[in-house]
Amino acid sequence: MLLLTAPVGAQQPPAPHKGLEIIKATCFQCHTDAMWRDQRQDARAWEANLYRMVGRGALWTTEEIKLMADYLGTDFGPNTPPVTPQAR
Amino acid sequence: MRELVVKYLSKGVSRRGFVTGLTKAGLTMSAAQSVLASVSTVTYGQTPPSEPIPPAATPAAPAAPSVAAAAAGPVKAFQGTGGAMMAEQLVASGVKYVFGNSASEDAQFYEALVDRPQLKYILTPHEGPGAAMAAGYVKASGEPAIVMQAGSVGMMNAMGQIFNAHKEQTPLVVYSYRTDQSRRAGRDGFEEVLNQEQIVQPITKYTWLARRPDMIPETLRRAFKAAWTPPYGPSYISWHSDFNDERGRTEIIPQDQFDPRMRVRPNPDDVQRAAKLLVEAKMPLMVVGDEVYKSKAAAKAVKLAELLGMPVTQVRQLYANFPEGHPLWVGYLAGGNLNSLPYPKGFDVVINVGNKFQHNGPNPIVPRGPKFIDMRIDHWSMGNVMLTEVPLVADVGLGLDDMIAAVEQLLTASLKQKVAERADDVKKFGTNARMLRAQIVNSTDWDNAPLATDRLTWEIGKFADPDAIIVHEAGSVALHNFDFNPLGGRELFFYYGAHLGSGVGTAAGVKLARPNQQVICLVGDGSFIFGPTALWNMARLQLPVITVVYNNHAYSGPHSRVIANVPSGRMVQTKQFVHDYLGNPDMDMASIAKGFGVDGEIVQNPAQLQAALARARKHTVEGKPYLIDAQVARKGVGWAETPWVPPIRIAEMRSKKV
Repeated sequence: MLLLTAPVGAQQPPAPHKGLEIIKATCFQCHTDAMWRDQRQDARAWEANLYRMVGRGALWTTEEIKLMADYLGTDFGPNTPPVTPQAR
Repeated sequence: MRELVVKYLSKGVSRRGFVTGLTKAGLTMSAAQSVLASVSTVTYGQTPPSEPIPPAATPAAPAAPSVAAAAAGPVKAFQGTGGAMMAEQLVASGVKYVFGNSASEDAQFYEALVDRPQLKYILTPHEGPGAAMAAGYVKASGEPAIVMQAGSVGMMNAMGQIFNAHKEQTPLVVYSYRTDQSRRAGRDGFEEVLNQEQIVQPITKYTWLARRPDMIPETLRRAFKAAWTPPYGPSYISWHSDFNDERGRTEIIPQDQFDPRMRVRPNPDDVQRAAKLLVEAKMPLMVVGDEVYKSKAAAKAVKLAELLGMPVTQVRQLYANFPEGHPLWVGYLAGGNLNSLPYPKGFDVVINVGNKFQHNGPNPIVPRGPKFIDMRIDHWSMGNVMLTEVPLVADVGLGLDDMIAAVEQLLTASLKQKVAERADDVKKFGTNARMLRAQIVNSTDWDNAPLATDRLTWEIGKFADPDAIIVHEAGSVALHNFDFNPLGGRELFFYYGAHLGSGVGTAAGVKLARPNQQVICLVGDGSFIFGPTALWNMARLQLPVITVVYNNHAYSGPHSRVIANVPSGRMVQTKQFVHDYLGNPDMDMASIAKGFGVDGEIVQNPAQLQAALARARKHTVEGKPYLIDAQVARKGVGWAETPWVPPIRIAEMRSKKV
């Protein structure tokens, strides 16, 4: 699971991004990360994706949405290399 | 007189001659009519004719008119062609509309319609949308209808919608003749297929062939009874096509004499057990389903929830069965299991009222642990997946009556205090949830062109009348701001069976049944193109429906689900998806609508949409349907600005330019 795995060889894993914590706590109730692991886009576009989930019943504050979009826009931004099947 | 009766029964004398003979023998005219009626009732429909009755219709000899004999109580003796018998029984069954496609072998039925204007035939240019229209009418009116198709081939066109009726438990009666006539069956004739009726058997409640022309009415009656006995579902009937032409005598019986419209009360002991569980629960949870709508029991569901301060949700269904604006409503289940609800957590008793529970995954929707009370008339699936503490087989209207009475008896002052506190908690959650969901307008693509799907939905939600009926066949579109309310507010007709192509037909049928309510059809471009022919019915019948096509030129749902099934695969790497892009060339749904006689337009952005909705309203006020082809953005992994298209181009491969 790409989102949940620390980089190989890391000494002290940094504290997880708050946006990631919210994703782990809420998104996995309905989805696996297969829903977005291959997506690459900026934070603004991720934010639009998250608001689509609001339309489907997700309950987040504006601040929580910003945090998640910030995390996704960084780790799954337009310049992030694509996932290869071997990396799964 | 006895001789005269024998002569009449052996057809040695006509009806008129029989009556004349009786009056000559000294009977008054009314007494003679009475004897005729009783003799006819004994004979018709019960005893096979001693010799074949010749077909009525030949080019040289037009059909003799049908004769309705004098009534004997509610049962009417009738003589005529098989087609006329069919028409007569449909009238007696309360059918107002027949939804059919042109069929030469139903000629005698069409002939019978000429003198029965109360039975209206709606010509549908394709059997699929035609059946959807019938189903929409039945669902919205609660009245019977029949779908007629041309033989086996017409039946197969309608099978998708028969499947939907089966999944959605819609009491749809479907008829098609067998092209093979009785004296030449089994010879691989035109459109003949072996055991035609068996093709639809797994998706119908009841399937039967009339064995003789005079059994057509009885077969129809049984089909209606089977379809309309809860749990509802479609039935299919058929007969050799020559039976429609043959003359015979039969009985015609009104609907209320053969259809008990069964309503079942639950077992009183089980009601008491269930009431005790609910009253003693720390956190009860109610799931509602379509039987609530069908039994018109939404007010009772509200009352039970309020008595217990019980939160309410709904798993995927056809209708909105509980007022979405009610403080105890906690929203629809988005995931596959009640544990995925944001609220309540830790529920210890679950009561289902009328939900079929469509399981799309291995986990039970009601998780193991909480005690489960299952109340519904559709007993078949009870206990198949969930562990059931108290099964309550019942009409949910009656079941809720009994449950409410039982709960009221058990509620003490201290329990009522707990209920009030729980209701406050649920209300707080609901208030917060509504506030958070309202933030959707902050989405970063809200003002985009092509439109954001949610913006389109939101604008329609703002536009729709307070009592509008929304027919929804736009698969992945979430209707987040409609506040559906089965108690006199907006109603939802979702697609549950998911055989696509039902939306436009359903909307036409709903409008036919409820002409005084605004009907808006929301349909994805993929679904729309499966069944647009009902637009023609909207134009011809002046059914002022507003159809909105969510047109992203793609099968969006399958796109995302395929990638979820094969993440990071070759499809994603190459952006080559063979299965989902419907553009290049783009389909112009507004032009398609114009071809069917329905005015419409394409919109790209919110301002255009608002203006188009205003024009749509103007059209409907004038009695005309309207279509909006709304261009919406494709969302999801791997969509390119100009998506890849499989390189299949035949013209350039030709060696001969013809």
